[in-house]
Amino acid sequence: MKLLGRSSSINVRKVLWTCAELGLTPAHDETDTDIRALNPKGLVPVLVDGGLVLTESNTICRYLAAREGRHDLLPETPAARAQVESWMDWQASDLNTAWRGVFMGRVRNHPDFADPAVQDASIRDWTKQMRILEDRLSSTGAYAAGGDFTLADIVLALSTNRWERTPMDRPALPAIAAWMDRLSSRPGFSQHCRNGVP
Amino acid sequence: MLTVWGRPNSINVQIVMWTAAELGLEVDRKDVGGPFGGLDTPEYLAMNPNGRIPTLQDGDLTIWESNACARYLAAKYGAGSLWPEDPADRAKADMWMDWKKTSLAGPMTTVFWGLVRTPEAERDMAAIGAAAQTSQALYAMLDKWLAGKDFVLGDSLTIGDIPAGAMAYRFMELVKDRPSMPNLEAWYGRLTSRQAYRDHVMLPIT
Ligand SMILES: N[C@@H](CCC(=O)N[C@@H](CS)C(=O)NCC(=O)O)C(=O)O
Ligand SMILES: N[C@@H](CCC(=O)N[C@@H](CS)C(=O)NCC(=O)O)C(=O)O
Repeated sequence: MKLLGRSSSINVRKVLWTCAELGLTPAHDETDTDIRALNPKGLVPVLVDGGLVLTESNTICRYLAAREGRHDLLPETPAARAQVESWMDWQASDLNTAWRGVFMGRVRNHPDFADPAVQDASIRDWTKQMRILEDRLSSTGAYAAGGDFTLADIVLALSTNRWERTPMDRPALPAIAAWMDRLSSRPGFSQHCRNGVP
Repeated sequence: MLTVWGRPNSINVQIVMWTAAELGLEVDRKDVGGPFGGLDTPEYLAMNPNGRIPTLQDGDLTIWESNACARYLAAKYGAGSLWPEDPADRAKADMWMDWKKTSLAGPMTTVFWGLVRTPEAERDMAAIGAAAQTSQALYAMLDKWLAGKDFVLGDSLTIGDIPAGAMAYRFMELVKDRPSMPNLEAWYGRLTSRQAYRDHVMLPIT
């Protein structure tokens, strides 16, 4: 098995953390050189497992959990599985589009996002999204999908680490802070999630 | 009995309605969102913390996010048909579902809002043209994938066809100026011959 993609990408880090949870150590190619041949979109991560070539970080995490039979991370029953997937899908869509303006503008210093109005709109949207997660975690008192740690926590924690490390004003979100502490003993958390990289 | 919350012209509601119809499931659909409103009430937010449509209810169970709803229906009611049992096949289907959500939805929203919901005089034609170009490049990936296959996974329709297929109707209708993509067009032709697709996706684009 081989994983392609540089570890500055939160989407690659989702897969690295998932592998750490599963005890898998795929060969990791950080150079991104062969990406276009495997993924015409040119995006990472890409996972190659024998003849199977997969893109899309959340798809790859779900595949690896299923491959290893880890139903604790991604339940088998449709109802329980759907609770995990709602939060993963929300991470990949509404949460993941919210940070772009401020993260690209202030962390990547990308000229297209230099406009302070664009950055401020992104901060407002991102804060609104993070409050949805805050409410959820304060009602479960534990993890995103309920009482147990799942793949949803992995993908959401990577977004949260980015939230904590992007230079901007942000409200205190205590349930999220407590959940990040709860996650800190997981295998892979300090190496791939809260590792100093936004 | 299933309940789906969401107006019928929403692409994400269509994904769930089409899936349910393929499985022969009866749905009580409730009009919320857009002109109907109703997404910011405490009752609705208790079902769907994101305040969007669709939301699916199956008995006591509530699910939000269109792809999660569609996967649930397929897993629960379509094992071995819409829901691939083999993990590698399921991952391939899953990948095209995520592709619609993370790549295609953005540019197609720009095309759709620009051409359908914006008065002609106010349209940003440069932005719409660029988004149409991106959408076309993305569908070209699917065209290539579909070579030698009737559907995303091969011989029969699965969950992997549904989000990309629901969006294909808008793409074909709104992006008329495009190169020929024979595999994609043949696949689209197969979708349009399905009653469930005609009933829930091929609706006026408004
Ligand atoms: N939906 C994809 C998105 C992947 C993505 O956007 N990856 C970024 C890095 S985080 C990328 O490869 N960007 C192209 C690049 O900058 O090289 C996934 O979740 O895997
Ligand atoms: N990621 C969500 C997106 C849902 C979404 O954006 N839905 C739109 C309609 S397609 C919506 O709720 N718009 C607000 C409205 O209709 O009032 C999903 O796939 O379910």
